[in-house]
Amino acid sequence: MAVAVKTKETSEVQTEQLMTGCEAIAEAIRLADVDVMAAFPIRPYDTVMQAAAKLIANGKLDCEYIVADGEHSQFEIVKHACAVGSRVFVGSSGVGWFYAFEAIAVTAGLRLPVVAICGNRALDDPGAFGTEHNDSLAVRDLGWLLPWAETAQECLDLALMAWRVGEDARVSLPVAIGLDGGFLTHSQQLVSVPTRAATDAFLPKFDLGDRLLHPDNPITIAPQVDQDWLMEIRRQNDAAMRRAIDVITEAHADFKKLFGRGGDSPFLDEYMTDDADVVFFGQGTLALPMKVAIRRLRAEGHKVGLVRLKWFRPFPTDEVVKSLSRFKAVGVVDRDYSFGSPHYGGVLYNEVRSALYSREQRPTIVGFVAGLGGREIDQSMAREIYEKTAAAATGGLSAGDQCHWIGVRE
Amino acid sequence: MKMAVETATGTGTLPQIKGVKEVPYDELFVSGHRTCQGCESALVMRHMVKAAGPRTIVLGSTGCMYVANTTYYSTPWVVPWMHTQLGASGSAALGTAAGLKVLMRKGKLKDEKINVIAFCGDGGGADMGIGAISAALTHKEYDLLVLLYDNESYANTDIQLSSQTPWGAVTTFSPTGSERRIMHTRWKKNVPGMLAAGHPESRYIAAGCAAYAVDLMNKIRKALEVGGPTFVHTLDPCPKGWDYHPQYSQELGHLAVEAGIWPLYEVLDGVVNLTGPTRQIAEGRKKRKPVEEYLRRQGRFAHFTKEDVEHFQAEVDKMWEEWLIPGVIPFTIPQKDVTLLNIDKKKPLHATA
Amino acid sequence: MTQATATRPTSLKATDITIEVVYRGIFQKTLAQRITRGVVLAARQRGLPGTAFSRYGDSPERNGVPAKQFAVVAVNDIELEASMARYEPAIVDVTVAVDDTLVKGVESWAWYGRQPIWKPVRANGVVLVTSDKSPDEILAQTDKTDRPYTLGVIPGEASFAGLWVYKDDHTDWRVLGALSKVLPDWLPLDEVKAQVRTQTKDENAVASVQYGHDATTFRPVKAGEGTDAHEKLAFTKPGWTTMRTGVIVDARKPGERNPQFKRYATRTQRPVVNFDTCIKCTMCWLDCPDECFEVTGSGHFEVVYEACVGCGICAQVCPVKDCIVMVDELKFDSNKTVFPEWEKDRNTYNAWFEKTSGRSAAPPKGEKAAVAVGGDE
Repeated sequence: MAVAVKTKETSEVQTEQLMTGCEAIAEAIRLADVDVMAAFPIRPYDTVMQAAAKLIANGKLDCEYIVADGEHSQFEIVKHACAVGSRVFVGSSGVGWFYAFEAIAVTAGLRLPVVAICGNRALDDPGAFGTEHNDSLAVRDLGWLLPWAETAQECLDLALMAWRVGEDARVSLPVAIGLDGGFLTHSQQLVSVPTRAATDAFLPKFDLGDRLLHPDNPITIAPQVDQDWLMEIRRQNDAAMRRAIDVITEAHADFKKLFGRGGDSPFLDEYMTDDADVVFFGQGTLALPMKVAIRRLRAEGHKVGLVRLKWFRPFPTDEVVKSLSRFKAVGVVDRDYSFGSPHYGGVLYNEVRSALYSREQRPTIVGFVAGLGGREIDQSMAREIYEKTAAAATGGLSAGDQCHWIGVRE
Repeated sequence: MKMAVETATGTGTLPQIKGVKEVPYDELFVSGHRTCQGCESALVMRHMVKAAGPRTIVLGSTGCMYVANTTYYSTPWVVPWMHTQLGASGSAALGTAAGLKVLMRKGKLKDEKINVIAFCGDGGGADMGIGAISAALTHKEYDLLVLLYDNESYANTDIQLSSQTPWGAVTTFSPTGSERRIMHTRWKKNVPGMLAAGHPESRYIAAGCAAYAVDLMNKIRKALEVGGPTFVHTLDPCPKGWDYHPQYSQELGHLAVEAGIWPLYEVLDGVVNLTGPTRQIAEGRKKRKPVEEYLRRQGRFAHFTKEDVEHFQAEVDKMWEEWLIPGVIPFTIPQKDVTLLNIDKKKPLHATA
Repeated sequence: MTQATATRPTSLKATDITIEVVYRGIFQKTLAQRITRGVVLAARQRGLPGTAFSRYGDSPERNGVPAKQFAVVAVNDIELEASMARYEPAIVDVTVAVDDTLVKGVESWAWYGRQPIWKPVRANGVVLVTSDKSPDEILAQTDKTDRPYTLGVIPGEASFAGLWVYKDDHTDWRVLGALSKVLPDWLPLDEVKAQVRTQTKDENAVASVQYGHDATTFRPVKAGEGTDAHEKLAFTKPGWTTMRTGVIVDARKPGERNPQFKRYATRTQRPVVNFDTCIKCTMCWLDCPDECFEVTGSGHFEVVYEACVGCGICAQVCPVKDCIVMVDELKFDSNKTVFPEWEKDRNTYNAWFEKTSGRSAAPPKGEKAAVAVGGDE
């Protein structure tokens, strides 16, 4: 691709290139030999479609590239292409994601492993291009797997993981990777790009088996049901989501063996937590300014660290509980908001609290709403988040005052 | 150097049917569908797959032909079938056709002709799904057929009016009452005409009716044969929503055509060909029946006054006397431009395909 | 509870009463509504609370497909709660069938099976049927019962109407009258009449209530009475561990019909064919929306009665006079195809044809030979 300059050969299995998160996803699309993708313009996700189009124009990718008449069509097109056995890719952002909502819901209901990205963007109105996680999070209850990326490298890695996990017969669920709009979709970073051969070793061919819609395998998909049937179908999908935990763990181990990346845990990325009293908890790119803050605070002698969540669905309850119960206080930083929710907090905040509720020994949880609409999280904000969390750890914050808006003008 | 877009073509495996005796016996849509007694749309489904044959994938968007046919975790379909969303028939056809094409190209599927048919009702097709159908009809690189079965209301959800409900008809959204005799005052959208006029690269667009079974099956076959994105619109008498005894479904289909309300035609490579009684009417070999014969047979028009019937008749007359092509092109041209636009009014309204 | 006892009218032994109306979808939807609403409004005359509802699983209703609506009246709001937020009561006190062919069994949708008309009726409950036939004739077509009940026949043919135009032949008033006869404690005749009078201001309607009350004939039915002739059709639903992944069911095999939904319970009349006058034009087969005709070796088309819904299109499109005749479904107790009988012995078959259809089996005279039009004239 135009802006990706090949630098040095890092190994036989991968080469290092400079590219944006969306271009990294496009590389994954090429490596996965995607069969069908459907595009429609909306910022910021659509740079991935621009990059993929260029790959096709240059003969690097052989796939049906359909420019749809809207997001609903986009998602319906790939859903049906998937049902006849195609490996597919699609994506959107913000209100575009919502325009596709019906198709997004049925894709999970039918257990079709569509892989999508959501270039996280604030929901209009008023129009805003910056990142906010409420678009991705709106589908959290539908049966989509929802990983979040921190870097362009992780965009590529998670995309390959997405096809591997989503298409696994034990799971067979769609995956939507969260990419912070702007910070990931539009900024270039150095990315190690696997070779096609190495990718093939990690990612098996897509096989729907006896679920393939084809004259040689006559089936009816999605007959009308009533109250006599739907609970059983929901329960099947629930079991698949539960199985995803093990499948992700397997895939993560294989990926690490092949490419030497991915950290210790498939679900959590811990930074300076060994002796920490207080940790920040969040997902996506906000980990980066928080890590800077952690190093500065530690220089002042504060025992602070970070736990970054890599998979929001399935929510890795055991890992989260095991990790967070080690600390005195946890400051959950939400780049989203849930109006009118318990304690007027963010989505992540309430999920973490609910995960820890049944634990004897649980840390104080403080909620922070920060960086909405893509507002940068600067060091003074990070420090304020630390101070409030640390104060809560020593009972300095009242229980009734547990969620805080950070960096908002009065 | 390959062309940017290859035009998909048929395989010549679906010859035209010459008379009822040639209609295949094999049923690919079998009994045990929970449709109404005398459901003409069910008959359209049956004829559709009969004409297409076993190497066919059918996508069905929400509506009677989804909910009634696959009633509660069972199916009447012999061919592979998949539900699609109310407004998604065009996208479903597109995604399925694209998937098959690329998998065959990459050698992941056996390379063969598989018919892709997506159907929708008038609600799903003429209202919510018209955009996606329009988009699908511009993709000449894919073989697909969108069939719109039109029973002139959202009959599944309780008979609410759609853009295909005739002027003045009673539906649950347009009841007749003490203050307002007629609530639905919009004239029916001309869907096949609009799609034919607006999608020059769709090689085949037709209007049919199951009361003319062989004509309809041949239109389905022609659509699948010429290949690329095609569209067929059928008018389906609906005993539930139109309110008549189920035994008269065929008769009402005949009346709709003979009264000139529902012209039968096809547009193949831009050439209009009127078919069945519509052609006979256009050629003056058959007299149009008064619309009253059709309207008075149905409870949904029971509230019509003499004036209402006259208004309805006047609109249908206008279509036959003033439209450039009756039932197809809803405008005419000033006399002074006849030669300018090289339109010879004396030429028959159809050309043999 | 104590409150319930306190407010209970002394005449009432039970705490509530449930009435079920079984009817033909769409055609009798309005009629069923008028009956169930009538029950609740009549009971309200004496201050009793009630609720009327249709069975959600029947919707969207389809012409002719058996459907149900219910009326529940209770001694007070607390007792009524047990019948709220329900699709279908498990046990009813009275079942009303507003079309007598429904006694051949109720199959409302796939996997539902064919259920005896008395299935939800409690022991010693009541089954009311509107019919011009006698209780014995009705019972002869009703499944053998495992519990005693009382069969009542309300005189009058089934009232069918479309959705937009209600055919008011007083069936609703006659049924209410019959209900007041079997539930005097809950629906005393004078209160039902008072309610109908206020509602309609029509003395003919009130007279119809009286007629239903007086003219309904009853017959006690003992356990074991009824017929074994009808097919047993019942299913066990699979659970989530055995159902296929991805909301998938197997397609039908070529030549197979949907085994989970057979459709003949939708039929009020069936086509009877005169194979002698049949010209094998294929129109009945071609225009059948339910794929129920099968071609025979001789090129005739026989009706598969398991699949036929009795819409009458075949009789309508048949170009030969009286070649296909629609006949009252209660005249038959088997779905076996009759073509083999014709092949075996035409004279016996034709005699049977004339007896059941009331039409001559002889070829129509003085008419020019009919031709196949193929619907494409």
